[in-house]
Amino acid sequence: MIERSSAWFERYLVPPLGALASNVYLQAVRDAFIIFTLPLILAGSLFLIVANPPIPALATFIAPYQQDILVPFQLSFGLMALFLSFGVAYSLAQYRRTEAVQPGVLAMVLFLIASVPVRDLTNLNFGEVLPYLGGQGLLVGILIGILTTEVMRRFRGSRFTIRLPKSVPPNVTRAFEALVPAVLLITLIWGVEWFVSIHTFTGADGKLQQLTLPILLMRAFQPLVFVQDSYPAALLEIILMMLLWSVGIHGMNVVTAIALPFWLSTLTANATAGGHGIVTEPFFHIFAHLGGSGATWPLVIYMLRSHSAQLRTVGKVALGPAIFNINEPVTFGVPMALNPLMMIPFVLVPVIIVTINYIVFSIGLVHVPVVLQPFTVPVGISGFVATGGDFRGSLLQFFDLAVSAIIYYPFFKAWERILVAREEAATVQPVEKNVRIPAGVR
Amino acid sequence: MTRLVGGVAIVMIRVLIVCSWGMSTSLLVDSMLAAAVASGYELTVEALSAGEYAARVEECDVVLIAPQIRHLRKSIEKLAASVGKPVALIEPFHYATMNGQAVLEQVLSLFSGVQEG
Repeated sequence: MIERSSAWFERYLVPPLGALASNVYLQAVRDAFIIFTLPLILAGSLFLIVANPPIPALATFIAPYQQDILVPFQLSFGLMALFLSFGVAYSLAQYRRTEAVQPGVLAMVLFLIASVPVRDLTNLNFGEVLPYLGGQGLLVGILIGILTTEVMRRFRGSRFTIRLPKSVPPNVTRAFEALVPAVLLITLIWGVEWFVSIHTFTGADGKLQQLTLPILLMRAFQPLVFVQDSYPAALLEIILMMLLWSVGIHGMNVVTAIALPFWLSTLTANATAGGHGIVTEPFFHIFAHLGGSGATWPLVIYMLRSHSAQLRTVGKVALGPAIFNINEPVTFGVPMALNPLMMIPFVLVPVIIVTINYIVFSIGLVHVPVVLQPFTVPVGISGFVATGGDFRGSLLQFFDLAVSAIIYYPFFKAWERILVAREEAATVQPVEKNVRIPAGVR
Repeated sequence: MTRLVGGVAIVMIRVLIVCSWGMSTSLLVDSMLAAAVASGYELTVEALSAGEYAARVEECDVVLIAPQIRHLRKSIEKLAASVGKPVALIEPFHYATMNGQAVLEQVLSLFSGVQEG
């Protein structure tokens, strides 16, 4: 029964989910975020925490210097879209097996041209542009990163590029090869931006402001940002994540690549403008995936004292990683992936946790997430940090763990019985060596 | 250190593991290196994302695929084949239990397969 249904999943569920996860643009966005943007966001967040201490007495002391302390934050976290445009162009070039640094640098130039109105720049107010170089400019940054690499790689080796004699060193040749597409792209983006910034709109301060590409795109996508920060969207995202993991695909990675611009713009609004957005990156990484995707922390504890030798072995290996919210040993060892029995709580537990947390955040029982941190920060600490120093954030995590422990228990016991029966059968008939590895894994 | 693998003397085997964030794979890497030291092989192991792998596939002898990116297997295999590198999926249960010894054996058999072929 278990074998037959997992074959069904392998046949009908894996291909469409796999196709989504293999999209090269999504992979490039994901890589760019992890490699180029995340370190800057994390470093910048430290200054955000210092500028907003959770202790009131300290906060009063810091208040006069708050904006000064925020300068490193503004120029790292605050410029994330600029660095993301580099990262997307660079990572995509790696996937396309072409030179990566040139498209990366060009993408940053193009992104800046797209984000600044076409006018006399010597008297431009930097504060007006700043939001669109960070949280509000992520979509433009991603699109420009993709465009740059796709255009540049088509010019490489084509007829429409400057040719130099073979004796010229390859580095010089590369620089000249990049010249034609660079000029072309710069002209294109500048031309579009010029057209866009002929138009004006009334800003929040009542003054007329020139339109730019990020402002235009943000206005177009504002409804989507709004919709994304809702319970149905959160539910959809967590279900997609866990369905992917259920067939053994890194679900958080795939969903992150799609939802990231929305999560980050909501989080930026929380961090800098006193927003109350809920559906952000920490909402999933810090408050739902306790001990790893699927909130599998309690399972590890159960496994340590299991009657099944297989589960005990996995439990011992899984304990250390679980502290840092890494649970591949659980996912592939229990296994959860392609195991029709364990897939049920694997999806159900995070769905229920997300539901509880959404309610808790929306009625204000716990401060909404404001700080981004590595997903490897242990449960308990991470809830406190993510909420900008609200100890109830940690309490919520522990409450969610208790919920997870209760739901997983009956499924764990049922799976344990199946494994113990298999293990006993294996010791009676030592010929069938492979029965200790559950069929669901294969 | 020189050892015989598949009848051929080798100096060092360079392994690339294609995975997603490299967090969990790094645990397996440690276990593989320990297993290699115990059995006297010289090994370098790097965990990379699929994009970094595409850019650096030439710099290795053996390619392994972590189970959580199984869906990328075809494109990874195609690229490895185009530059003549042996490639295999890591057995999920070995990955789960961070069984460096078993994965090392997989590396050795892939490597000796190339040497013979």
